[in-house]
Amino acid sequence: MGIDYEQLVRGDRIHASLLHDPEAFADEMERIFVNGWVFVGHESEIKEHGDWVTRQLGTESVIMVRESDGSVKVLSNRCSHRGTALCWEQRGNDTSFQCTYHNWRFGLDGSVRAIPFPDGYDTPKEELDLDAAKRLETHRGFVFVNLDGSAGPLADHLGAAGYELIDRLCDLSPTGEIDLSKGWIAHRVQSNWKLWPESDSDGYHVGFVHASMSETTDTYYDEVAVGGEAVRRSRAIDYGKGHIELDWRPSYQRQLAWLGTTRDKVDSYCEALTERTGTESAEQMLWDGPPHAFLFPNLFLGELVIAIVEPVGPGEMIHRHTSVQFQGVSEDFNRRLLRQTEAAVGPASFITSDDAITAERIQAGISGTQRSWADQDRGWIDLSRGLHREQIDETGVRSSDASDETTNRGFWHRYLELMTGQVSA
Amino acid sequence: MTSLQLKAEVEGFLYREARLADEFQLDEWEALLTDDFHYWVPAGRLEGDPAEQLGYLNDNRARIATRIRQLKTGKRLSQLPVSPMRRTISNIEVVDQDDGTISVKANFVIYEIAAQSTGELRIWPGQAQYRLRRVDGSLRMSSKWVELVTAELGQRNLTFLI
Repeated sequence: MGIDYEQLVRGDRIHASLLHDPEAFADEMERIFVNGWVFVGHESEIKEHGDWVTRQLGTESVIMVRESDGSVKVLSNRCSHRGTALCWEQRGNDTSFQCTYHNWRFGLDGSVRAIPFPDGYDTPKEELDLDAAKRLETHRGFVFVNLDGSAGPLADHLGAAGYELIDRLCDLSPTGEIDLSKGWIAHRVQSNWKLWPESDSDGYHVGFVHASMSETTDTYYDEVAVGGEAVRRSRAIDYGKGHIELDWRPSYQRQLAWLGTTRDKVDSYCEALTERTGTESAEQMLWDGPPHAFLFPNLFLGELVIAIVEPVGPGEMIHRHTSVQFQGVSEDFNRRLLRQTEAAVGPASFITSDDAITAERIQAGISGTQRSWADQDRGWIDLSRGLHREQIDETGVRSSDASDETTNRGFWHRYLELMTGQVSA
Repeated sequence: MTSLQLKAEVEGFLYREARLADEFQLDEWEALLTDDFHYWVPAGRLEGDPAEQLGYLNDNRARIATRIRQLKTGKRLSQLPVSPMRRTISNIEVVDQDDGTISVKANFVIYEIAAQSTGELRIWPGQAQYRLRRVDGSLRMSSKWVELVTAELGQRNLTFLI
């Protein structure tokens, strides 16, 4: 008898036991991270043939590698013989992967190439290849996989909104290309992974959790997310499929607010952008900036930061981030983005370190809740904020004040669909 | 000044710096800094150009001032309450003296209680590299670079002065 997810995920609340239950965690690793589409990394991380990086997709360790034909492949980081991890560093460059146990060797495409004393095997060779992601698709360098191949095309998962959010970020680069090869910083947090899609897309907490930052330094978050007026102008949006955005665009009071600078300081960037996209388009983009959005289940587009939510266990996760770097800009410009990233995100940052504490406090608060309490009206987490004023457009997109829990409900709605296998229209 | 006298003065400085950091005596700690102070904790070894890397922190003088101001608001959740912590410093070596700048390396271990959330004991081993110089007769710190043994593994919250 498995978990009755419909009983625990309601339209206006979810049961707190889902944030620490080991059985729910195991279900999620299978139904969301193996059966569904997940973000792996960016093609700019593996520029040369043989470049590889390791990554965690839920609890599955994978290798993302650039093949000799230039294509990208995602392989399980597990020898097909006895299961030994093949790569234990974060990145490298190789012409093949060799297991250190019995020296089995695999091509970059995961096919078995050499087995010592091969006459001991009568097994068809292809049965000894590494497990690979059954489906892999990319969009503007963002690599997504569906490990078991059961999820249908990426377009069904991302939808028009998912593509548009990635496009809105990449289009800000003067060449239309971004680079994510500055390395990833891991922030280890003692909380359930699902608290971070919620935190990253929660517009309600900014003025409270981050008050110390607002009081200390000028930040555009004051303009878009702090105080009653800002949270009424900015929008919380649920595009469906669990893809959600805090849309700051209506709140920006000037161009380039999202970059924390003014035009005269980044003149050549503005010119380069105009040259590629035309004046009208560039002027608008300089107002709009990059999105603040979460693509289900593990990719955070945090303006000029990209983060991956990595589940480790029911009460342990990693928030792994890197800095967006533009192509076709000065060294100084990209350095500005590095420093902006360090200020905003990570264990020593001015912002998300306080989100980490909040997530850990939630984890402490909910860790005793029991699934059986659901029908005793105990242990619920309320997500009803703004339900009465949420708007739905003709395409089904829901939006509301930025402080409303439209985004959180969007995440959990998709969660329920995937956990029950019942996708509603 | 003999090398033993210098070593004693440097050790005195490092111990004081460590105690002020452990005790969150933020103004007194900040008074140890020169106007061009640079504070760096990379996500790897202490090598390469800090400006080109994404680190845990990379503060110029203005940013460390902001960091201290944020801690002093009384609203910095990740240090509310501040972490009870103590560090030991050892293996202190004066590695270079050049144009009035004294380069020092030392090992440290910090024991921290995450009093703000889980209450667990966190242990932070590493090496600190300092550049010191004399301002108005007393030593000040113009840089502190910290290489964590765990640098490549990721970190829990690092919102105290390391």
